[in-house]
Amino acid sequence: MRTIGIAIAVVVVIAAGFAAWLVLIPAPMAFARGSTVVLSDYTGANPTGVPKELARTDLIKRGEYLAHAADCIACHTAPGAPAYAGGVAFNVPMIGTIYSTNITPDKDTGIGNYTDQQFLAALHNGVRRDGQLLYPAMSYTSYAYMTDADALAIKAYLFSLPAVHAPPKSDKIAWPFSQHSLLAAWNFIYKPNERFRPNPSMSVEWNRGAYLAEAMGHCGECHTPRNLAFALNNRQKFAGALTAGWRAYNISADKASGLGDWTDKDLATYLSTGHADGHGGSAGPMGEATDNSLTFLTPGDIQALVVYLRSIPSEQTDLPRTVDVPAPASYREGASAALDPRGAMIFASACASCHDWTGVSPTSKYATLTGVRAVNDPSATNVAQTVINGVTRKTAEGTIFMPAFGDGYSNADIAAVSNFVTARFGAEGGHLTEKDIVSLRKLAAQQ
Amino acid sequence: MHINVNGEDRVIGDDVDPRTPLLWVLRDHLGLVGAKYGCGIAQCGACTVHVDGKPVRSCQLTIDNVGNRAVTTIEAIGNTSNGARIQAAWIDIAVPQCGYCQAGQIMSATALLNRTPNPDDADIDAAMAGNICRCGTYIRIRQAIKNAATKSV
Repeated sequence: MRTIGIAIAVVVVIAAGFAAWLVLIPAPMAFARGSTVVLSDYTGANPTGVPKELARTDLIKRGEYLAHAADCIACHTAPGAPAYAGGVAFNVPMIGTIYSTNITPDKDTGIGNYTDQQFLAALHNGVRRDGQLLYPAMSYTSYAYMTDADALAIKAYLFSLPAVHAPPKSDKIAWPFSQHSLLAAWNFIYKPNERFRPNPSMSVEWNRGAYLAEAMGHCGECHTPRNLAFALNNRQKFAGALTAGWRAYNISADKASGLGDWTDKDLATYLSTGHADGHGGSAGPMGEATDNSLTFLTPGDIQALVVYLRSIPSEQTDLPRTVDVPAPASYREGASAALDPRGAMIFASACASCHDWTGVSPTSKYATLTGVRAVNDPSATNVAQTVINGVTRKTAEGTIFMPAFGDGYSNADIAAVSNFVTARFGAEGGHLTEKDIVSLRKLAAQQ
Repeated sequence: MHINVNGEDRVIGDDVDPRTPLLWVLRDHLGLVGAKYGCGIAQCGACTVHVDGKPVRSCQLTIDNVGNRAVTTIEAIGNTSNGARIQAAWIDIAVPQCGYCQAGQIMSATALLNRTPNPDDADIDAAMAGNICRCGTYIRIRQAIKNAATKSV
């Protein structure tokens, strides 16, 4: 009897410990030394709002800058559809598909009837106008840190845009996740109940960077792994995660698997243009984040983001150090046809003309594969996604383009060429199968 | 803006956007119409030229990315020894059918011989796979490359 009692007690303690571990996640900025204060008590330069260059502009202009910084458009605009009219599908494994909503000022199908308070409730608390709770696919746990003034400036900007009639699509959520009452419990545990609190022991730039990264840009929503309850696990802050079928990489300070080896200059160039020599360019969701959001930030704000990113604790993951030397000029040397005849054959016909057998493009720096993280990721996930979806980025240097091969090549072909590319130009070859490609296609589908 | 084409320094007018693909500068501004527009997305090879000796798809190379590198087009490839050999081998067995892709084929084949003087089938596959021929002249292309490499045509 006694041993059974002890055994039960042990199980209870372990279960309670596990529950506590699941629940007690550090806040996103808790890694920084020192304690925080409410914004009104902070004596440094205001880390919220628009940068000083825009301080004298009108509310809508300021809202536009902040809407870019918060990257609302990325999730609320479906491919080929009007801006902010929603309808983007988020495919979450095991849970189902969630669609983003119309946030144009249309009164029937958009947010045209939202009062300021209702808008704040949605942004800060994930509560819809009719009281229904939103899924945290809407990143209200990040926007909770946004000031009321900034949120309402964004509202003013959104309300200045054309109203688009676009009825919401119905989410397809599996039981029990379809029970909205679960969300109330989830919010109780995981939703921050406070606005951004500056940290006086950190620099003014750091505080601005923290506000931009956490309250606005919500970097962690893709780059921080989630726990079993799908909450951001800040114990591994910015250590990388798979989001919508693309790998958001480790952007912590680790030298091999994170950004520790990047110079400040490379980091700033990458953030503001989506490309840094030796590191390659952004594509997929990060390409969108670049073109829709980061390129609009002022150099001062980019610098603040760099300062903040630099302060993230090092989190080592299993990504190998990137290979920064080109592959051999001859196709016979290096990872070659002997390794994967099919992959090599496809590379020769569809890829080599721009990417070269060395990986150093004679055509465009954006097409150089040497040193690119995606190519140095043995899961080959982002290489496969780039092959399937191609790249279309609007940059100051014109359109950056790679054709989408997803419709022209079989799943087996895409797996073979992705495995070949990672083997030839990266640290370690991928082992994708036909099945993996089927799954990657599903996860990344936006409609 | 200047670019070096076929050994000459050519001036490109200020009216030309630096993001213009080299192909259109060659064809529309310099009158060099040998390189052809095929797919426009670097998937067919009809626009191939040499840039510092490498075969490059000129439809995807903007002129500001050409920089100081030397561009050679089909119009001048016959002035090089391998270019002349390839062209002679092409004529010898009448490789082209409609001819649209052939300037690109010859540029890629010449680059191959420059790197690999005696290419085997695998070498030819690796170098020529990105040059598509809708008429299906691949058998004669392969033969002509081998002829150019081994015979004194």
